[in-house]
Amino acid sequence: MSGRPPPEAPARKKMIGERVPLIDGIEKVTGRANYTADFLTAGALVGRIYRSPHSHARIIRIDVEAARKLPGVVAVITGADCDKTFGILPIAQNEFPLARERVRYRGEPVAAVAARDEASAEAALRLIRMEVEGLPAYYEPAKARVLGAVDLHGDRPGNLERDVHNEFGDLAAGFAAADLVREDSFDCAEVTHVHMEPHAALAEYDAERDRITLHSVSQVPYYVHLMVAQCLGMDTARVRVIKPFIGGGFGARTETLNFEIIACLMARAAGGRVRFKLSREETFLTHRGRPRTQIKLKLGMARDGRLTACACEVVQAGGAYGGYGIVTILYAGALLNGLYDIPAVRYDGYRVYTNTPPCGAMRGHGTVDVRHAFECLLDVMAAELGVDAMALRRRNLLSAPTKTINDLMITSYGLPQCLDWAEQASGWRARKAGLPPGKGLGMACSHYVSGAAKPVHWTGEPHAVVNLKLDFDGGITILTGAADIGQGSSTILAQAVGEVLGIDLTRLSVVANDSRITPKDNGSYSSRVTFMVGNAAIQAAERLKDLLVAAAAKKLDAKPGDIECLGEMYRVAGGQDPGVSLNEVIKEALIDSGTITVKGTFTVPREFQGGKFRGAAVGSSMAYSYAACVAEVSVDADTGTVRVDKVWVAHDCGFALNPLSVEGQVQGAVWMGLGQALSEETCYHAGLPVGANMLDYRVPSIVESPDIEVKIVESMDPNGPFGAKEASEGALSSVIPAIANAVHAAVGARLTRTPMTPDRVLDALVKARRAAASGGLKRSA
Amino acid sequence: MEYMPEFTVARPSSLAELVAARRANPGAHLLAGGTDLVANIRRGIVAPEHLIELTHVAELQGIAETSSGGLRIGAGVTLAALIEDERVEATFPVVVEAAHAVAAASHREVATLGGNLCLDTRCVYYNQSEWWRAANDYCLKHRGKICHVAPKGDHCFAAFSGDLAPALMVLGATVEIASADGKTRRCALPDIYTDDGLAHLRLTADDCLLAIDLTPPEPGLRTGYAKARVRGAIDFPLAGVAVALRRCGADLAELRVALTGTNSCPLLIEGTRDLVGAPLDADTLERLVGLLPKQIQPMSSTFTPPGYRRKVIANLTRTLTSRMFDEAA
Amino acid sequence: MAKEILQLTVNGQPREDAVAGNLLLIDYLREVVGLTGTKMGCDGGECGACTVLVDGRPRLSCLTLAASSAGRQVETIEGCARGGRMSHLQQAFHEKLGSQCGYCTPGMIMAAEGLVRRTPAPTQAQIRQALGGNICRCTGYVKIIESVEAAAAESAA
Ligand SMILES: Cc1cc2nc3c(=O)[nH]c(=O)nc-3n(C[C@H](O)[C@H](O)[C@H](O)COP(=O)(O)OP(=O)(O)OC[C@H]3O[C@@H](n4cnc5c(N)ncnc54)[C@H](O)[C@@H]3O)c2cc1C
Ligand code: FES
Ligand code: FES
Repeated sequence: MSGRPPPEAPARKKMIGERVPLIDGIEKVTGRANYTADFLTAGALVGRIYRSPHSHARIIRIDVEAARKLPGVVAVITGADCDKTFGILPIAQNEFPLARERVRYRGEPVAAVAARDEASAEAALRLIRMEVEGLPAYYEPAKARVLGAVDLHGDRPGNLERDVHNEFGDLAAGFAAADLVREDSFDCAEVTHVHMEPHAALAEYDAERDRITLHSVSQVPYYVHLMVAQCLGMDTARVRVIKPFIGGGFGARTETLNFEIIACLMARAAGGRVRFKLSREETFLTHRGRPRTQIKLKLGMARDGRLTACACEVVQAGGAYGGYGIVTILYAGALLNGLYDIPAVRYDGYRVYTNTPPCGAMRGHGTVDVRHAFECLLDVMAAELGVDAMALRRRNLLSAPTKTINDLMITSYGLPQCLDWAEQASGWRARKAGLPPGKGLGMACSHYVSGAAKPVHWTGEPHAVVNLKLDFDGGITILTGAADIGQGSSTILAQAVGEVLGIDLTRLSVVANDSRITPKDNGSYSSRVTFMVGNAAIQAAERLKDLLVAAAAKKLDAKPGDIECLGEMYRVAGGQDPGVSLNEVIKEALIDSGTITVKGTFTVPREFQGGKFRGAAVGSSMAYSYAACVAEVSVDADTGTVRVDKVWVAHDCGFALNPLSVEGQVQGAVWMGLGQALSEETCYHAGLPVGANMLDYRVPSIVESPDIEVKIVESMDPNGPFGAKEASEGALSSVIPAIANAVHAAVGARLTRTPMTPDRVLDALVKARRAAASGGLKRSA
Repeated sequence: MEYMPEFTVARPSSLAELVAARRANPGAHLLAGGTDLVANIRRGIVAPEHLIELTHVAELQGIAETSSGGLRIGAGVTLAALIEDERVEATFPVVVEAAHAVAAASHREVATLGGNLCLDTRCVYYNQSEWWRAANDYCLKHRGKICHVAPKGDHCFAAFSGDLAPALMVLGATVEIASADGKTRRCALPDIYTDDGLAHLRLTADDCLLAIDLTPPEPGLRTGYAKARVRGAIDFPLAGVAVALRRCGADLAELRVALTGTNSCPLLIEGTRDLVGAPLDADTLERLVGLLPKQIQPMSSTFTPPGYRRKVIANLTRTLTSRMFDEAA
Repeated sequence: MAKEILQLTVNGQPREDAVAGNLLLIDYLREVVGLTGTKMGCDGGECGACTVLVDGRPRLSCLTLAASSAGRQVETIEGCARGGRMSHLQQAFHEKLGSQCGYCTPGMIMAAEGLVRRTPAPTQAQIRQALGGNICRCTGYVKIIESVEAAAAESAA
């Protein structure tokens, strides 16, 4: 394990803690960055997908003969061409790349065509006929769970994909000890990622060698590799997966997606190269977003604001297939803990199948909606007890190191400092009560894992591997399977390696994500890359440094222990000699050995991998990030429009390897939460998404987006790379309740549904006014 | 490449050439900035065989002062040009205000005034892809038999969502229209509309909007536009209201109110004349708001519920009118 | 489908290509000219990723017919850097992290370029207005605004 403080090396290049621009930033700002759809592939066939118009139906026949005969069409495939399922969790792979026997949501891929041009492909799609026998469709979890409902999946009676029931601590005693008990229900709409790059895949089949190469938009090329091999019935050695530049992911691409496998099946069927460019609508249909989440939350509190007990019931409408569903419903419960000190927690979670596009992982996976409910209810109770919202949080702090009642190991905890800054910077105490009507301040806290301690596939391999290659040219190439999806992971790895070796980026380059070249990586999810791959990179760099020090020792005729590494120069410590240049050291090191490759690995120790109860692995992590957020809002009483004027957010990321990047990640996360709070929502009409476009699915525009002031809090995690923890998810969930609490402060209306769209706010305002007029309590809209 | 149906495009440079092009291609669609039409073609809800691009038609261009001291604004003038024009800003600020509310800056570079006034009506069941509409059995407005908003009737409730029409209506704008034979005629702006989502324009297939005429505003006229929207940009109005009023001392001397987003066409509210001649007190305001329910008909053509659009139009009308009244003092 | 000769200038280079009447400017640039820096982010007019300059003003290339740009000057992200030097906007977006995943970046920079050519020292409100149609899903826009401000300041210096 390699947790170490930031070293203080005078002459060496300092690479961490610096505002380093992205290592691949120039490609992005000049237009040279090639994304999957940018490969100019003269002669590539145009691939298109025929999607189910039905929500739930038994397939009687799919007639593709007319399409097949159309001039210009090269191949047409259907579910008959692949009888293997895919998915992310080994125990829940229940999805076929192209539907077989049944379709379970509108938009599910049923057939695909490859044609010489777009017009032929389009014409072919229109010739495909699908004969079905309709089945009852369920869009609401309650309806899917009704006795006698048709099961979407035979092995899941009652359409319950997974129910979770956990109790830690003595719940009854906790509520008995409470002076105030409050319960409320919350309903958070389904949201989706809307990464700016629509989905795309380019697959090429080498018929002579029976090999397949896929360029795709994945955050998890390794899992895609496995699923392509599985569904094509090919040996994994015949598959190559390459991840080019990726236009965002946010969790959408953390599992293998149907079009990736379809592209490979199609390349093989057509015997060549096929390009799929999904439309924005199809990208919405592919979905894997955050499920609609209904929450019933009950909290017990002592008079002084100390939490005594928590009982939480969560129902998620998961969509038609398994995906990450089990993980999502487990996360929702697991991270009730780890933010505050709660003596007793009961959690009941229900993940339900519905006839809508499958949900999956989205930034802040599983935790966001539950955190929203929790922080809103805290606000209500604080007010009733007459305790300030900040003070209430302070009464419930953990003290690290500690182990929570559900066996999460908290090793560093910067929440107190986050609270202090947010309170000061926002002028909380002075301004809170004095804002004019229609304006309000609200606050909330949140946390998140720095990498899931247990990988999805347990193979016994290390959690992360990084290779370094040093050759005659003196350049050092970092080889990693970690997918940079815009979050800047390649830059962080280069900084970590540079820091250990004391050199800057000019000597360093990163090669990421070509399964033929780079070591396996589990992928970019659960904020694991900086922590795990970062630690592996440090180890690799240290091993390389050892070799260089040994070579320098030889050259300088000294003992390795006496050699001082100054980055571009190695010398005998304390000596008068100027030493030898790195170039000379490298030449020396290559004698006899030739090209040097070293490897660094990282494995999460067993004690961090969660407790012994069922599902304990989910939520366990080696470190947790913390955030406190204050939002200032204005509510327009005529239109119900909520305008966020400013957000202050402090985020404890352990140590900021790259403060520029951390700020960018925190701002992006907070802003994404803001969209979920105010305007984002997938809406369905009988299973058809009515807003599968960027006009109706309202991602905030620059015009109304607020300034977001970020404070980086550094708690120096003992196990993180140079003390670092996650920086791009944790802050998201604090901003939604902060806004809800601010809306309440502004106009006295409490909204329990998200997003807080103008119509809902206006309704809540009317209710609040009525309640105020009748002298009643201003509660729940 | 993205799938686009095949069509031909004519690019006339004068009204005479435009007339000839129309004769040569009956049923051709007029293409101005294309920010509505091309988006609709890409969705498959319009599939023209011929387009006639208006960009180069000289007679549609330019903003000119009229002999009466008003302005003649070519239908082909872009919203960006409209916003940048100092005469428009000085004389008809409400037009600039409404133009600013349209889409976003890059759209406004090409979006034209004519296109904005002739914008197709919108509906959640209509502005969807071919796959989507087919899965939903199409709709009355395109290929289908029923209106999903009001399945029992035979009327289409797609909503008009242009921002400029109400602003121009409260200014009493008239329009110049060229018909297929090149003859021009004039009418009041409200007269080109009818409250039918299927065919909200009273223009014939061969008509082309040439220009919008604005007479100089009465001295002391106060105008304003308010738009209910979720985001600060790229949001069609959930509802929009324009107000023009004059004051005579403590009394309201003139009042015109026009709405968008509530019906299949923009509406100049009737009955406002009955409110003038008295101060604008709470009672008058409620009488004004009381005029609305009978005249508007927001339906579930947007995902935002119609009830909200009713409430918000009343609130905006009330607030904007009283603000204009105060400012006019 | 019948094609016609399209003459125009792309990044300062005169070109002549046979194009179909229904070809969109974005597809012309990406597939015919081979300039893939311009991105498609939506199904038409809703995201700004495809913004280029036509005669110096921002234009959504996904709603523009290629042939409508006949005789005009089209500029794309590839034309911004000159002689190995990035434009002030490119430099600022790089250094200030105005670009994360980079997908919105070409459109964002071109829209900003259109702004600063006419308004060399834009206010924050002007920046927000000019970029209103450009959606970015990564940055939360804060560093995009900082980048445009920094570039404008650099150009003024
Ligand atoms: C993302 C997005 C957001 C939008 N937001 C808004 C908004 O907030 N408010 C708003 O009002 N609009 C909005 N629009 C719609 C559109 O951009 C504007 O209404 C614009 O003004 C249309 O003008 P145009 O020149 O582009 O029209 P075009 O698309 O060229 O034409 C629109 C229609 O008008 C007809 N037409 C055009 N000119 C004439 C003429 N001279 N005579 C007769 N018929 C003519 C065309 O045949 C076509 O049917 C939005 C569009 C998009 C893509
Ligand atoms: S691609 Fe989205 S606006 Fe052009
Ligand atoms: S940087 Fe990713 S969308 Fe803007």
